Amino acid sequence: MPFLKIIIISFLFFTMPIWAKGSDSVKTSSLDFETSNFEDEIYDPFEPVNRVIFSFNNTADKIILEPVAKGYKKLPPPIQTGIGNFINNLKMPLVIVNQLLQKQGKNAVESSGRFVINSTAGLFGLIDVAEKIGLEQKQEDFGQTLATWGVGDGFYVVLPIFGPSNLRDTTGMVLTYTTDPINYYAVSEGEAWVLPVRTATNAIDQRSKIIDEVNALRDNSLDYYTAVKSSYYQNRKAAILNIDDNSQTPLPLISIEFE
Amino acid sequence: MHLFFKIVFFIFLIIQSVSASESSNWLKTEIDFILKAYKNSSTTSESRFLMIENTINYNFAGAGIAKFVAGKAWAGANKNTKKEYLKLFKRHLALNIASMMQGYSDQKYELINNKYDSKSKVSLIDMEIYNDTGSLIVTWRVKKSKERYYIIDLLVADISLVVTKRSEFNSMLKTVNYDLYKFNKLLKDQNESSFNKIIN
Repeated sequence: MPFLKIIIISFLFFTMPIWAKGSDSVKTSSLDFETSNFEDEIYDPFEPVNRVIFSFNNTADKIILEPVAKGYKKLPPPIQTGIGNFINNLKMPLVIVNQLLQKQGKNAVESSGRFVINSTAGLFGLIDVAEKIGLEQKQEDFGQTLATWGVGDGFYVVLPIFGPSNLRDTTGMVLTYTTDPINYYAVSEGEAWVLPVRTATNAIDQRSKIIDEVNALRDNSLDYYTAVKSSYYQNRKAAILNIDDNSQTPLPLISIEFE
Repeated sequence: MHLFFKIVFFIFLIIQSVSASESSNWLKTEIDFILKAYKNSSTTSESRFLMIENTINYNFAGAGIAKFVAGKAWAGANKNTKKEYLKLFKRHLALNIASMMQGYSDQKYELINNKYDSKSKVSLIDMEIYNDTGSLIVTWRVKKSKERYYIIDLLVADISLVVTKRSEFNSMLKTVNYDLYKFNKLLKDQNESSFNKIIN
């Protein structure tokens, strides 16, 4: 089984530049309207299949995830915050690894400090003590690491249950699941149930934070599929570039003289 | 000569700072006006939306955003179609923003940062919205023209409303062969559906 995983990961890794090349060839033409260099179209060769999976995910979200997330929102705020902190703290070992792989030494030291402080003084990560002493939380994952190493997005893909992704980020996700020390420890101790519980709790916690935003997008989009795809790419691009302030995000050239 | 440059630089900094606080004050007034409408429980959903729509239409560079979002379909359309599209787009924009505000329940907010980019002449104003479990940063892109300010974009979690709309519209315009006249029909139907959800 581990051998099969290595083969799949190696295949995805080595074929990605080929797919990435296809992605990079999609450009927008500006004609008479003013734009900066936005790519209107994201490389999505499997759009019909992706739309079917997206529709399934959307239904699953409406009947399962959203109601559960709404219920979760009714928990006392300190409990919600504690659960969120605990899940984030479990992610820290891999965040540190990815920061090191991206040569972010200072961030890796800070994240290590965060992990030690929150795991001890913060009662196994339930309380974010580190934030209070100025150790800010930063997220890095294998998808971001691969991007900083020059690996292209590859094609867009909608994963069942997991939602929007692309070839590179899916590879990153597989790497995360297979290398996470907490997952590894749980499986080795015969407690494999921890993995789906952890994933589901994380999904509920994240979903509970964007209930209104998702509903606004879903209710008002002419094409919800494309709106989610665009949002995913913008968000990932900012995460890869570590944009802390929005002055670096591309500016659409809006002509005010037209008003 | 050195002193001269220092003075010029100092004046430049003062102008930047005055301009930043001026745009922040303006934005705060407009946001407070919209939030006040949400706090007023005596108004009906419809009249609340219409009031918000007026505020949004007045403060957003609706026509400029509409043109950007339409992309290449804009060029091929005739005057009446463009006029109809602008009207529909402005309502669509208002419905989107009003829908985002639906969950508003008296959260506190603060304008925490204002950066002026002299190259693009755009102010980026960060707004931190606080809730029970944390906070959310929303960035407003504001530009001055003809002695007043216009909002040209809104970013939530690094996601631009305008860029998302452009991708979405482009996808739908492709299905009608970039015919803005046919697209207006789709937009009108979507607006009606969104409007019904907002008022009910």
